[in-house]
Amino acid sequence: MAEKPPQHEITQLLAQWREGNQSALDELYPLVYDELHRLARRYMSRERKGHTLQTTALINEAYVRLVDQRNVPWANRSHFFAISAQIMRRILIDHARRHQYAKRGGGARQVSLDEAATVVMPDQSGELLRLDEALKSLAEMDPRRSQVVELRYFGGLNNEEIAGVLHISENTVTRDWNMARAWLYQQLSGSTAN
Amino acid sequence: MTPERWQQISRIFKSAILLDNEARAAYVASRCGRDDSLRVEVEKLIDSYGKANADEFMNGMAAEAAAPLLTDDEIGPHQDILNKGQQFGSYIILDSLGSGGMGEVYLARDTRLDRTVALKVLSPDISQDKRRMQRFRQEAKVASSLNQPNILTVFEFGEVDGLTFLATEYIDGETLRDHLEAKRLKLSEIVDISIQVLAALDAAHEARIVHRDIKPENVMLRRRDGVVKVLDFGLAKVTEHKYSTLEHDSDPEAITEFRTAPGVIMGTINYMSPEQAKASEIDERTDIWSMGVIMYEMVTGKIPFRGSTTSHTIVQILEKDPVPLTKLVKAPVELERIVMKAIAKKPVERYQTAKDMLADLRSFQKRLEISAELEQTSPLVTPDEPGLGAKKKRVLVFAVVGMLLATAAIFAINIRRSSRSAATPSVTTPAVAPVERTLTYWITVQKFKGRNPYQDPFSLAGEINFETGYRIRVNVRSPQQGYLYILNEGPASGAPEYNVVFPTPTANNGASLVPAGETIQIPKKSWLRFDTQQGVEKLWLVFSENVLTELEPIKQFASIETGGLITDPALNKSIKNLTDTHSATKPGVEKGETLTTVKAASKLLVYAIKLEHH
Repeated sequence: MAEKPPQHEITQLLAQWREGNQSALDELYPLVYDELHRLARRYMSRERKGHTLQTTALINEAYVRLVDQRNVPWANRSHFFAISAQIMRRILIDHARRHQYAKRGGGARQVSLDEAATVVMPDQSGELLRLDEALKSLAEMDPRRSQVVELRYFGGLNNEEIAGVLHISENTVTRDWNMARAWLYQQLSGSTAN
Repeated sequence: MTPERWQQISRIFKSAILLDNEARAAYVASRCGRDDSLRVEVEKLIDSYGKANADEFMNGMAAEAAAPLLTDDEIGPHQDILNKGQQFGSYIILDSLGSGGMGEVYLARDTRLDRTVALKVLSPDISQDKRRMQRFRQEAKVASSLNQPNILTVFEFGEVDGLTFLATEYIDGETLRDHLEAKRLKLSEIVDISIQVLAALDAAHEARIVHRDIKPENVMLRRRDGVVKVLDFGLAKVTEHKYSTLEHDSDPEAITEFRTAPGVIMGTINYMSPEQAKASEIDERTDIWSMGVIMYEMVTGKIPFRGSTTSHTIVQILEKDPVPLTKLVKAPVELERIVMKAIAKKPVERYQTAKDMLADLRSFQKRLEISAELEQTSPLVTPDEPGLGAKKKRVLVFAVVGMLLATAAIFAINIRRSSRSAATPSVTTPAVAPVERTLTYWITVQKFKGRNPYQDPFSLAGEINFETGYRIRVNVRSPQQGYLYILNEGPASGAPEYNVVFPTPTANNGASLVPAGETIQIPKKSWLRFDTQQGVEKLWLVFSENVLTELEPIKQFASIETGGLITDPALNKSIKNLTDTHSATKPGVEKGETLTTVKAASKLLVYAIKLEHH
């Protein structure tokens, strides 16, 4: 089994964060990042083509592995999912950036056959980076809607779970999502709202 | 767009999309009044809403859409910068050796001299940082001038297509970190490795080069002859820069940067000197400190300063007095003196030069050789350090077959001897060679869905809340040889019935005597499964210096068919007597992050792992 951060540390950090200690988040972030990233890569290398990556399953597994579940208040779980959604976003964006870098011919890189296969994807990485940018603009106008998008699209949470994390009703989640998604679509398809 | 405008649009939008086309147009028109631009915005958004639905925009999840991106880096957070077979300047890439915080390492052939080298290629983001590169270049230049057998030889430092690389000799071997995890070191080996690292430091310090990042990951042991090579002279400064970025900057980008160097924080901080932790001036004595910490770890299996978080660790480094070696293991006093001197908080109280420390170690080594005692060749008796030895499980002696419907563990003891020693309260710990039984355990959990394993197994230090579908394996290890018996006591009320978990006919040839230092997986190839009855499942661990005649008969009940159920009431009764008698003298329990160590101040250890079963 791979090295993993001590459970109680994560558990403590989660508790501290929930109690409002923001620096706990700073410590939590890299730990969870590494775990999620590792799991995601492992899933993908195992399943390869034709399989989808189940974000929720991934985060659940990270949760089970990272958090000492003996004395954890349930509320910590929402916090864990919230940070995980944020981190999944970051992981994917990081990968997309590297992908773009590679495509620009960064360094002495040569494109291998394997990679040529993934290039068939219609500029997935560019799309993702644009979405990320649009989501940042959305966050400036409307932080809650951008969070809903993050939790749902990057964290794989369903409406009920999102409602729990953000302390809003499920109906509100649905409405937020509709609006945010329409706006993001508009941004990505090139027209501007401004 | 202002947030106010956005909210205005939002209020109209959310109702509008619930209406059919005709009603919608009217509704929007009435809500927007004469504000045409508002109407246009709302209509555009409604239009996008329809298209997004039709296109199934963001219907899946980001990870699904972006999954192929995740597969293009198999090695680490960085993509492979170079590929096998690729020409890179005058080098041909033969293989990838892995990645570190700074970039990728490749096995390559230098076509000019036809020699095999290790090629470290710095990741582009580091290469692009001019200030850091300048420093790095200068240090690498100095480091390459070092010519000492224990320092990794630097052949070339250069740039190809904007990528900075370092070509060094290639060492076929393992890092001291891997070595430490794989086995316990003998005293003679510890001294030998330390002397070689110090010899490298001595040469570097003579040349006024401070390594700054001495840690087990930076020490290679050559497979062929055990020669030690110290790596990464001159790279440390760059790493250190990353550090300060994280420590003093809450910018999320900085955190990302930190994590692109996995292990930088966790790995480095444990060996960091107080002056490094305080970010004050450092000199050669900082390397002496790190060397001391490594030696401490090699001897005891524990890192002297370690907190649950980075900042706790720093506080420990700055303030905590380390536990003396001899409190943890049976180590020679002279060795303790050397190590403790190296990790004195104040640089002036440490060895002032690597040469001085080297001299002390060499004379210690001589004495060892002269006395050539058993001690020299036998592994140190150490309590276990969570997270160090635990990861690599040695080949196991006990092959327990697909097993019992219920589990439990017992740490057993020798009754004859214990009648004398068990009465001794554990408070009075004799200063010399205390009578003690030590057993370390951890539990591996495999989730099952139906008959099939589901997800990867994970390990826990001890008690878990057991859930349906969990199957487990108990791992035990002791620095001492002893007789081991493991029994499961289910949650049933009334007179308990036990199931044998260990020994079994297939494991250890059916014998209960377990060799020192061996990790025993129970069962080895399959998993223990509990029945569906809820409550506390006890695994009684009984570990004894001498054979326990009253427990030996349990072997005959070890069978897969019966789940190891002991059907002899008299035997069950005598087991109960044993556990009742001896669980009264509670063993000391050290719960680590990944292991639990149980110690009894007697020749018999009896301990129950309790698993809550829901």
